[in-house]
Amino acid sequence: MTAAHGTTLLEVRDLSKQFPGVLALQHVNLTLATGEVLAVIGENGAGKSTLMKILAGVQTADSGAILLNGAPVNFARVKDALAAGIALIHQELNLADNLDVGANIFLGREPRRYGFIDKRAIHRAAQKLVDSIGLDVSTRTLVNRLPIGHQQMVEIAKALSVDARILIMDEPTSSLSQRETEHLYAVIRDLKARGVSIIYISHRLGEVKEIADRVTVLRDGKNAGELAKEEIHHDAMVRLMVGREMTRKRLRVQHGGAQPILEVRGLATPAYSKHTIDFTIAPGEIVGMAGLVGAGRTEILEALFGVTPALRGAICIGGHTLRPRTPREAIDAGLALVPEDRKQHGLVLEMAVRENISLPSVRRDQHRGFLNRRAESAICGGAIAQMNIKTPSPRQIAMLLSGGNQQKVVLGKWLAMKPKVLLLDEPTRGIDVGAKREVYGLMEELASQGVAILFVSSEMEEILTMSDRVLVVHEGALAGILPYNELTEETVMHLATGGHRQAAAV
Amino acid sequence: MKKTLGIFGLLAVICAFTAIANPNFMTAYNIQNTVRWTALYGILSIGVAFVIMTGGIDLSIGSVVGLIGSMLAWMLTVKGVSVPLAVFIILLTSLAIGLAHGLLITKLRLQPFVVTLCGLLLYRGLARLLTDDQNLGFGADFEGLRTLATGSFTVAGFAIPVPFFLMAALAIVAGIVLNYSVYGRYLLALGRNESAARYSGINTDRIVILAYVMCSLLAGFGGMLFALDVNSVQPSGLGEFFELYAIAAAVLGGCSLRGGEGSILGVIIGAAVMRVLYNSINILRIPTHMEFAIIGTVILAGVIVDELLKRWVEKRRAAARAAAQ
Amino acid sequence: MKRNLAAILVALAALAGCGGAPEQAASTPPADGATPTATPATGEIRLAYVTNGIDPFWTIAEAGVNAAAKDLGVSCETLMPPKGIVDQKRMVETLLSNGVQGIAISPIDAANQVDLINQAAKITNVITQDSDAPGSNRLCFIGMDNYKAGRAAGKLVKEALPDGGGIMIFVGRLEQLNAQQRRQGVIDELLDRNVSSGDQAAYDPPGFTQLDGKYKILGTRTDNFDYAKAKSNAEDAIASYPDLACMAGLFAYNIPSCLEAVKSANKIGAIKLVSFDEQDPTLNGIKDGHVQGTISQQPYEYGYQSVKVLTALAKGDNSLIPESKFIDVPIVVVTKENVEAFHTKLNELKGG
Repeated sequence: MTAAHGTTLLEVRDLSKQFPGVLALQHVNLTLATGEVLAVIGENGAGKSTLMKILAGVQTADSGAILLNGAPVNFARVKDALAAGIALIHQELNLADNLDVGANIFLGREPRRYGFIDKRAIHRAAQKLVDSIGLDVSTRTLVNRLPIGHQQMVEIAKALSVDARILIMDEPTSSLSQRETEHLYAVIRDLKARGVSIIYISHRLGEVKEIADRVTVLRDGKNAGELAKEEIHHDAMVRLMVGREMTRKRLRVQHGGAQPILEVRGLATPAYSKHTIDFTIAPGEIVGMAGLVGAGRTEILEALFGVTPALRGAICIGGHTLRPRTPREAIDAGLALVPEDRKQHGLVLEMAVRENISLPSVRRDQHRGFLNRRAESAICGGAIAQMNIKTPSPRQIAMLLSGGNQQKVVLGKWLAMKPKVLLLDEPTRGIDVGAKREVYGLMEELASQGVAILFVSSEMEEILTMSDRVLVVHEGALAGILPYNELTEETVMHLATGGHRQAAAV
Repeated sequence: MKKTLGIFGLLAVICAFTAIANPNFMTAYNIQNTVRWTALYGILSIGVAFVIMTGGIDLSIGSVVGLIGSMLAWMLTVKGVSVPLAVFIILLTSLAIGLAHGLLITKLRLQPFVVTLCGLLLYRGLARLLTDDQNLGFGADFEGLRTLATGSFTVAGFAIPVPFFLMAALAIVAGIVLNYSVYGRYLLALGRNESAARYSGINTDRIVILAYVMCSLLAGFGGMLFALDVNSVQPSGLGEFFELYAIAAAVLGGCSLRGGEGSILGVIIGAAVMRVLYNSINILRIPTHMEFAIIGTVILAGVIVDELLKRWVEKRRAAARAAAQ
Repeated sequence: MKRNLAAILVALAALAGCGGAPEQAASTPPADGATPTATPATGEIRLAYVTNGIDPFWTIAEAGVNAAAKDLGVSCETLMPPKGIVDQKRMVETLLSNGVQGIAISPIDAANQVDLINQAAKITNVITQDSDAPGSNRLCFIGMDNYKAGRAAGKLVKEALPDGGGIMIFVGRLEQLNAQQRRQGVIDELLDRNVSSGDQAAYDPPGFTQLDGKYKILGTRTDNFDYAKAKSNAEDAIASYPDLACMAGLFAYNIPSCLEAVKSANKIGAIKLVSFDEQDPTLNGIKDGHVQGTISQQPYEYGYQSVKVLTALAKGDNSLIPESKFIDVPIVVVTKENVEAFHTKLNELKGG
């Protein structure tokens, strides 16, 4: 190590970058010291990814400077950044999973002997690296045999193999288990001790608190503030990210007496054909659906919405009984679904925001088969305003929006359809805190207007804070229904993991 | 619109080049012929454009042209069926073919390539079976019906072939359907993401079936015009490779084979490029055996230039934006 | 399945033959008995007549085939390959594996089908008709001299254009020997080249033109049997060559296609048409004076003679084969004078 701990290694000055219609970065500054773990946080679309891509040479800045050890550098390609010792570990891992660990670590830089790849040299060097980060695998193991956490470690080993002095980790824990995350922390601490600097991007504020020496917050492509080690608290971070205090006050309502708007009777999904599901939802009620991954929650929503028609049973909406065979039948009956995978099922990514928003409603608003452009514009404008969708224009392609804004477009699609029952599948997955807040706000607003809401979530906090009642699903069957006053993490988990509901059934 | 501009540029370049090299290219006679052929092939291209926009493909177009052309000639000259009835029957047959394709592709989830490839063989076989592999012609009869393909209206001293009007009418209807109707919006949406379209309450199967019906219907209508124009129907040969001409025109005109993208005007211009190329080679007195090589080269060069131009424009725009900041 | 197996065995035998001495293989057929051979007729004699494509021309020939088969009490299948040389090869191979006592074939690409014809000749009696394969082991060729027919067509052009003018030649494709020879005959006649037979003629390349002299050869246009293309070729020629005076169509459908183009261009009379073969539009065009004349090859005779010769061969009688191995079926030049009688007779033959 040439530089001592604590000296400034990297400095970003006044960096700006524009994409069609969006100012991704505006005069952003950032410093990183040797051996420091700097967390960069911000809502989706705040510019974190763009900044990191510029640092790693994936993209180039429009203006501004990057100084490495005080000397300006200019990375036109990823190779340049790597040569300068900056390596980016993408959120989606970039490994060739049909090759072994050693081959991945030296991919494209294979040592040669007589013109052939020198496998022995590769494995000798790779094993050393792998061991150095405490990863207990043979470098001859195929990458696709490794769990995700280990693959992440291989990425880190790969970065170290080029003597990276700065390691950028983009959401490194997003698919890691708790144990794997702990191991990652250990590796980060070790790297830090070896003088490697780390830029750590995460949505998980708990992690940031655990690992970061300092926090830089970005908001709307600008610097929003910085927190020193001792200032790192959940609320402080959220305040800087959102630019306002997060508050939640929701009047919980008991809907026991009301006439239900949705009644599900004897519903059997193809995935769990033996079990039948029965429940009701009252107008204005927000019902959460909890359960472990694979418990069959998505399948229930898809059966209700006619995506995968139910085998048996029926649903009754506002007195109208049916078993939807297509989404169209469900929509006509007054249902709407915000699917879990918005890119696959929620949006036509290559189409404009306006056309996405109006997709369900153009049929209703048609003039004898022709599009009603006026109604379309009105609906689109309304949705953009109500959902606070950040888009330069209604004609922007949906693909170019951030995840949170895409999700708001999906929600906006259904506003104009005035659904009686809104089904949401993991409505806040992969979106930032600000957008989350807006989604919650909309759910409450719709509920106050009498819409019944059924949402699936794997986030315990979301289930606990948003639900008036919770349906807990276990292995395709309804394990129990918890009213608001019985709602705790323990009661939900108890049912979700196969425990029985004691006492007063619903 | 930008894509259409590129292909239009290619058409203009070919026309200008040929006209300068041989002024006979610009004679009314030659323009009329080229317009007529463009119209005939263009009608097929409009049909396949709809199928391509769903992300599908129809390889049976040439055989449908052959079958329908053969049926028409057979009914009129061998069986003595009346003209209105014969036209009705062939349109019904084409519709049934498209419906069968659509149902097999949506309800049975067969691949469009397989379904229509089998169609390509089947309809060719049916045409030959029906006519006993005999060539058929209308001779000097059916002058009235043949006007549909060979006739013309004189507008401002220029005789415009009837097929041009037919194609223009079909293109306008197709353009309106695509850009201003709910059906068109659904078609474009499902071509890009069928699943998202379904989740939005679109009856995707019906949209796809309709696209195949339109494609076969236009192929059948085109087949009728081709038979009437050529006046000699060879059941084993009429329409061979026409599906490739149609698909090439559609793709040149901006349809993406991945689906969800396309412009009717572009498709027509694409068809014109193909026809003008064939015409130019003859007009420029280039021996016929070189035509495929020339057509392949010109189209490839055109597509490459178009792509490079687009990138250059994009770069300039990005630079201009940066400067404006 | 059985048929496929037989076909594979034939193919294997062919490979063996190629590797070793072909003569020997021909004289001693494999002893395993699986390879179909021309076993002496135990019952009916089965023959095959293979054309080079699908065309009304071949329909007339088929009528001759059927008439001869009926007269001689044999059966003869007429096979028309729809997709060129690959289909033709497949058809011949199937025939060989099925076992026939004789094949009359019009090879699509004579020079390159010698192997196929020789292979077939090892197993059964093979004659060529319409188009010859001179280097092969076929027993004889029934047909006309295409070069002479071309020269006859050239004479018709000269009659149509006594004062000379520009001529464009239209043909389906130029890979076929008969197309090449006809075209060469037309060109040589118009340019008054002193060549007596097709074998001595130099072959002018497809792009050949001769733009000075009394008769100008403007070029040759091919259409690959696409009728729409044939018509647009004619239209383009009219547009491109204001001095075009005559179109010579070497295949049966060429002049009917040209006639459509000439009619719609209002050039009837201004552009003379010289045809081959006897499609109805051609014959009607001659009657109307729109077409100068046509060279008929008497396809009926091709069919009839082929079956006659093959039947004799199957019975072990070689007497019908002349020394020259060439049975000449004379051409008929049809012009306004004899068109009525010719057409009437043709319809009779087709009807019978």
